Parts: sequence; C-alpha cells; structure tokens
Amino acid sequence: MGGIPLRIRRKVWLRQFFLQGCWNYEGMQNVGFAYSILPALRDRYENRPEDLSRALKRHVEFFNTHPAMASVILGAAVRLEERVAAGEADPRAVGTFKVGLMGSLGAIGDSYFWGSLKPMASAAGAILAFVHPLLGIAALLLLYNWSHLAIRFRGFAAGMGGEESAVRFLREAGFAERTENRKMIAAILGGAYAGWVASHAAHLFGGAWMELGIFLVAATAVHLFTVLFRKAVSPSEVLLLLLLVGTLILWR
Amino acid sequence: MTAMEWRFLLATALGGAIYLDRTAAFQLMLHRPLVVASLMGAIFGNFAAGAQVGAVLELLYIARLPVGASIPPDDTGAAVFGGAAAAVASSSIGLDPGSFVAILLLSVLCAEFGKYADRFVRRMNGRIAHLTVEWMDRGDSQAVEHGLRAGVTLFAVFGMALTILFSGLGISAARHLLTRFGPESHFQFAALLPALPLLGAASIFSCSRTDRTAPVFYLTMGCVFAATFFFRWLG
Repeated sequence: MGGIPLRIRRKVWLRQFFLQGCWNYEGMQNVGFAYSILPALRDRYENRPEDLSRALKRHVEFFNTHPAMASVILGAAVRLEERVAAGEADPRAVGTFKVGLMGSLGAIGDSYFWGSLKPMASAAGAILAFVHPLLGIAALLLLYNWSHLAIRFRGFAAGMGGEESAVRFLREAGFAERTENRKMIAAILGGAYAGWVASHAAHLFGGAWMELGIFLVAATAVHLFTVLFRKAVSPSEVLLLLLLVGTLILWR
Repeated sequence: MTAMEWRFLLATALGGAIYLDRTAAFQLMLHRPLVVASLMGAIFGNFAAGAQVGAVLELLYIARLPVGASIPPDDTGAAVFGGAAAAVASSSIGLDPGSFVAILLLSVLCAEFGKYADRFVRRMNGRIAHLTVEWMDRGDSQAVEHGLRAGVTLFAVFGMALTILFSGLGISAARHLLTRFGPESHFQFAALLPALPLLGAASIFSCSRTDRTAPVFYLTMGCVFAATFFFRWLG
C-alpha cells in the first residue's frame, strides 16, 4: 500500500478548519479532530470497517489545543495512523503522541496567536481605520492571516513528515522569539494609540500645563486599567461601571 | 418586502457566517468587531459610522483570551449591536459624542448575553458529541460527519438568531433611546469619551506587557503625545 494520496491530504488539511465545529465541554475538539482525520482513515482502512471503527474511536477521546497549532498534531497523527495501518506502530502511540503534544502546543498557540499576534493585528487595524476603514480591515485580516495560514500549512506539512519532523518544526519556527517581537510591535502600536487619544483629549482643554496634566491623567488611567485587567477584571465589568457612572453621576 | 426587511435578511445571513468564524469554522478574524461593525454599518446605511464604533470596540475586549474552556465576552455581538445602532443613529439624529459613547457602553450588555448564549450552544454540543460517540459504537463511521455538521449548524443558527436580536436591539436603541444621550439630553455621556479608547489601549498593553515592552509602551505614548503637541504649537 502506498502513501496517502495528495487529494486525501488536501481534504484533511481543509477539514482542520472545522476542528471546533462541535466544541463541547466534555471532549472539547474531539469530534472535530475525528472529522478532520476521517478521510485519511478511510483511505488506510478501505474495506476494513472494524479496523476503521477502532481507529476512529482513538480520535473521539478528549482533545483540546489551539486550533491553528492543531495542524501539526493532525499531520503527525495522519502519519502515525499510516504506520499503524501498515502494522509498523502500536495504536496506543497515537493517543500518547496527541496527549503529549496538545497541552504544550495549546500554551504556545494561546501565547502567540491570542496574546501577541491578535493584539498586534487589532491595534494596527484600529489605528489604520482612522485613516480609512477599509485600510484598517485589510491590515487586520492580512497581518493575522498571513501568519495564521502559513502555520496551518507548514505545521501540517511538518506533521506529515513524522513526529521528529513535527518537533523540529516547532523548534525551528521560533515561537518564543516571534511572540516577543509581536508583543513589542503591539506595545508600540498601543502606545501610539494611547498617545494620540491623550493628545486629542488634551487639545480640547488647551494650555501647555493643562495638556501635560491631561497626558499624566491618561497615562495613569491606562496603567490603572492594565492593573485591573491583569487582576482578571473583565473589560465588561469596567464598561458596566462606566455605564453606571454615566447614568447616575452625569445626570443633570 | 421592505428595504429594512431585506437589510435584516442580509444581516442575518452574514451573522451566521461571522459567528461560525468566531468558534466553529476557519477563525480568519472575520468576526472581529472592526469587520463586523463596519459590515453592519454598511447594511444599515452608514459604513463609516459602523467602522468608527468597530475601531474602538476592536480593542476593548482583547484582554480576555479564549484560553482553554473559558469563554470571553461576545465582542462580535457587541459589534453587531454597535454597527447597526451607529448606522441608524447617524442617519436619524447624527452620531454625536454622547450617542457614540452610549452605543459603546450599551453594547456591553450584548457582549455578556452573547457569552451565555455561547455557553449554552457548547452545552448542547455536548449532547451531540455524546450521540456521535454512541452511533460510532454501533459501527457508523459517518456519525462523526453528521455530528460535526449538527454542531456547525447549531453554531450558525444561534449566530443568526443573535444577529437578529442584537441588530434589532441596536436599531431600537438608536431610534428610541439614543435621543436621550445626545448633546441636548439629560445624559452627558460625551464626558466619558476619552476613557474608552484608553481602555482599549490598556487592553492591548495588558496582553503585550513584559519587562521589555512596558517602557516601550509608555515611551511611544509620550513621543506621540509630544509630537502632536509640537505640530499643533507650530500651527
């Protein structure tokens, strides 16, 4: 039996975008993962329904990682299933590999995608939207998806090369450095945004000392809000408080 | 069908797609407030007003990350409300600073409601997943595909329902409530205007804050402030 055909690999790659299609509190991404890998399993276990059923059951176990980073695990799981079907590997190795990698990839993905790439793209989009809304939208989508789609593609290809290739990809991709760089860009964009807002507010009052005072108030406000967010206060709670302040105190 | 009914129909169809992008499929950031509020603004008559609200909303909720099983506030729902309200308000009473702030603050109610709706969908998905595994145990390998389609459909249907609800609320708020938040009303929400973008900047900062980035953030803030001050002084 030869390797998994390109058309099947393409199908699996496309199906990874539905990893969270049936996200639930018990198995989390389990149904999505089984759905993604199904074409590869069907190809390997053609005319062997019982083996197919057993293989599929391995993938409805609990699974949760960052959706974009799942491409690496998915590719490697396809490769492992290929070896299991050929009798070259123990079926238990599939579950062990998935469980071993999903936690660390989840942490890397959350930190990189949600903690640095998304804030950077959002800040760039929000700032450029003041120039033209379409420019802001384009910046947001391009900055995020350029990296997002590349990792989905390259991660899957690396996973298909086997477990060692997947681990090599994760080492060479330099996620720690990338995260740090994007956080720096996000901080610069965020600082520029805050400075522009403070300057805009200060201009309404006029007078050099007054403007300096407004700047200090703005910097203190940003610091205070940041401390609140770091202490797990939700933005919704701050906004609800402002709504209450607006309704009660500003009543004239 | 009236023009408004067509607009609702279009918003509902788009709502299904953007809510799918939020969790169930793709995650291409089409569900971000900047995109959603601009789209809703375009559908309900004022693209620029929607984008104006979306640009501020974009940053407000970024501090809450969808890590593990935690569900952040539904900023997509807030943007549906905000975009529709801003478009209608700007065409009927004009989007004054008071109304602008009021839209942003009222949208938090949609964000919180959307979060609970999201939790409910995920609980229902648990039942679907359970049935999927049951059918698989009986040897039906197609159960996985049926289960996933059911989950995606549930997300899409709830997304459409939330879009109808939030855009409807946005339009009602713009027509009946926002007139109270304008410059001639008793509520002077405009005074809170600078606080919201600063909250957004703090949201970015709290995500990106490290020992290296903290001084850079404040230094950039100071430099941009000084530069704008200098250029204004030059005239």
